[in-house]
Amino acid sequence: MTHPGLPEYWAFVVWGFMFLLSLGLLLKIDFSRFSYLKQKNVNLYQIKFVSPVIIFLTQSRWLLLVLKLVVVALFLLVIYAGLMGTPVPERNIATVLTWNIWWAGLIISIFFLGSAWCAVCPWDTLASWHVKPRLWLKKYSLKLNNSLEMTPPKWMRSVWPALIMFVGLTWLELGYGITTSPYMTAILSLVMVVMAVVSLAMYKNKAFCHYICPVGRTIGFYSQLAPVELRPVDNSICADCKTMECFNGSDQIDACPTQLVMGRLTQNTYCTSCGNCTQSCPDKNVAWQIRPQSREAIESARPHWDEAWFMLILLTLTSFHGITMMEFWEDSLRNFAQIIGDSGQLLVSFSAGLVLSMLIPVGVYALVIEITRRWSNSGAEKKLGFKKIFTSLVFVTLPLAFSYHLAHNLNHMIRESVGASQLFLNPLGNNVTYSGVADELLIKNSMLLSENTIFMLQALLMMFGFWIAIKVLQKRSEQLNISRVLHLLPVLLFILAINSFHIWMLMQPMVMRLGALCVVPATI
Amino acid sequence: MRKYKNKMLRIFSFFLIFLFTAQAAAHHVLGRPAYSLNEDSNTPPSMQVETQIGSYFITYMVYPAFPRPGERGRVNVYASRIDNGQSYEGEISFTVKNDVLIGDENKEVLGTQNIDGGVYRQGFVFKENGGYIITASFEADGEPYTIDFPLQVGDGSGMTPVLIALAVIVFALISVNVLQRRRIMREKIRSARNNESQPE
Repeated sequence: MTHPGLPEYWAFVVWGFMFLLSLGLLLKIDFSRFSYLKQKNVNLYQIKFVSPVIIFLTQSRWLLLVLKLVVVALFLLVIYAGLMGTPVPERNIATVLTWNIWWAGLIISIFFLGSAWCAVCPWDTLASWHVKPRLWLKKYSLKLNNSLEMTPPKWMRSVWPALIMFVGLTWLELGYGITTSPYMTAILSLVMVVMAVVSLAMYKNKAFCHYICPVGRTIGFYSQLAPVELRPVDNSICADCKTMECFNGSDQIDACPTQLVMGRLTQNTYCTSCGNCTQSCPDKNVAWQIRPQSREAIESARPHWDEAWFMLILLTLTSFHGITMMEFWEDSLRNFAQIIGDSGQLLVSFSAGLVLSMLIPVGVYALVIEITRRWSNSGAEKKLGFKKIFTSLVFVTLPLAFSYHLAHNLNHMIRESVGASQLFLNPLGNNVTYSGVADELLIKNSMLLSENTIFMLQALLMMFGFWIAIKVLQKRSEQLNISRVLHLLPVLLFILAINSFHIWMLMQPMVMRLGALCVVPATI
Repeated sequence: MRKYKNKMLRIFSFFLIFLFTAQAAAHHVLGRPAYSLNEDSNTPPSMQVETQIGSYFITYMVYPAFPRPGERGRVNVYASRIDNGQSYEGEISFTVKNDVLIGDENKEVLGTQNIDGGVYRQGFVFKENGGYIITASFEADGEPYTIDFPLQVGDGSGMTPVLIALAVIVFALISVNVLQRRRIMREKIRSARNNESQPE
């Protein structure tokens, strides 16, 4: 079963918008005149009616604990249902909750709440309960600490491990087909918990969240585009602070799990929204703030080599997700398999497709950067290095990946989650019945948003992504002192090509991740 | 407008056309099981897997998808050449073994079948719960072909993976605790030696 693609008229609206914006860039129209980026952050603690709620949400340890308990309970249900329930993926809550609701909804949550998910992540929660139970057993004065507190080795202290994990997860998801197997979904859940526990038992702080977790790092990078951040209310208080409870922790509260110093924090990438800093700061100087959306990616996030690669691969894998859900994908895979003599589940052919889908955009981006470097260096006194331009301009990929990811997931989330609540009545999916036609009708008529609204949101998201990418290009090129607008043309064409390709994919019928949902059997 | 639209579409399609040439209707992913459930007929669900091996497309269907011990079931196999769609018409033999990583596979022959209306049908009855691998084998163009497919009879392995995960976690935590104790002990001994060696 496939989802209908974006109608042509919406695609042309987006392409028209892209054309006008590109023209504006080339004609050197200063977009900063229309910019909202100069607006100051809004400290939620200082808004009269909102502040009590925000203070309660961030200072209350009980609320966070309750949320964690709920998420852990659902997570354990996923494992139980995956192991004990039906292997039919559409009828088992393990696959539906994990891949249709959580995985699709997670990306959407970042748009509003940044890295909030990390605060209640069940992998980390279970690992912490196993390894560092001193906080929740404090009442009984049990101060167990099962961690060796070793410093992670140097090779690990980057996002490369997370990047490798992310590619591996994509392979498992789309190649091996873990999304269509409740059993394997449960196994993956267990493996992630074991990895989180072992990592926490070996290394100090939360090396798993910081360096290994592919979900956490994806959230972290996308959070650069989020409208919320945890930051100091008054920077001068942080500048004078000698105790740094945010970094060191206190008797009651753990240290920052990713070793961030609040006074020097400029980007969300590694913030897990755990709230330790808001609770431990004796001056109550850390607060949730609303900021101009995407400001961090546009101007303040600092470029790093490993992070640049993560962002670039994030873009390629996001596009690859879309490609594998196109109707032509399977036949292309079959044709390729026949050429190389692959058989069975065609995993070799799939792996080749995965590698190719990463290499082509990376190669094109590298070429674009090299052309930009040559053009901008010709006649310039201060020469720019390839690495410098590569890492600075790579931020253009972030909004492109995020907007497509959101638009793509919106389809999964809205269309494929219809009736998912009924799965809670029979989470294991035993004795389920099915009616293909009825399910199709159910999906069409019971969606949370109408089809036209989905299309409109997808078009708006694609425009949003392009708009932010252009802003990034303009701002980052200023920071690099690339003054001639013609020198930006290769990167502009790259942005246009990627966004156009994404729009083209949205226009195609998309194969459903799982089949139709969800008729509760009369025989439960 | 239409001309412009087509041109635009051609330009934006170029990248994909360069990579992929085939277009076809969607069906389930190769090599993965698809379950056919139908509430209208009172029949249990069946499982179907499509795959390709060498020069042949293979489709096999297991009915029922989730057989119980003692319940009669059957496997249907369809094999057709990829290049011209012609059915394979020789014999296909079916064997079964336990799906185990370690231990006795206990391979048994289920039977050898001839084509019957384009389909090879092999019946089975399993007496015990468990995971099994059914293997269909045939020879074409002088080359052997074998297709393995797993079949779960009765309830699965249940909570074994959870027990394994817990065992790994407990082992890791105990190991860390032992190492921690040794480390603390070493530090105590070291500090005691330092105190002894310092002049009073």
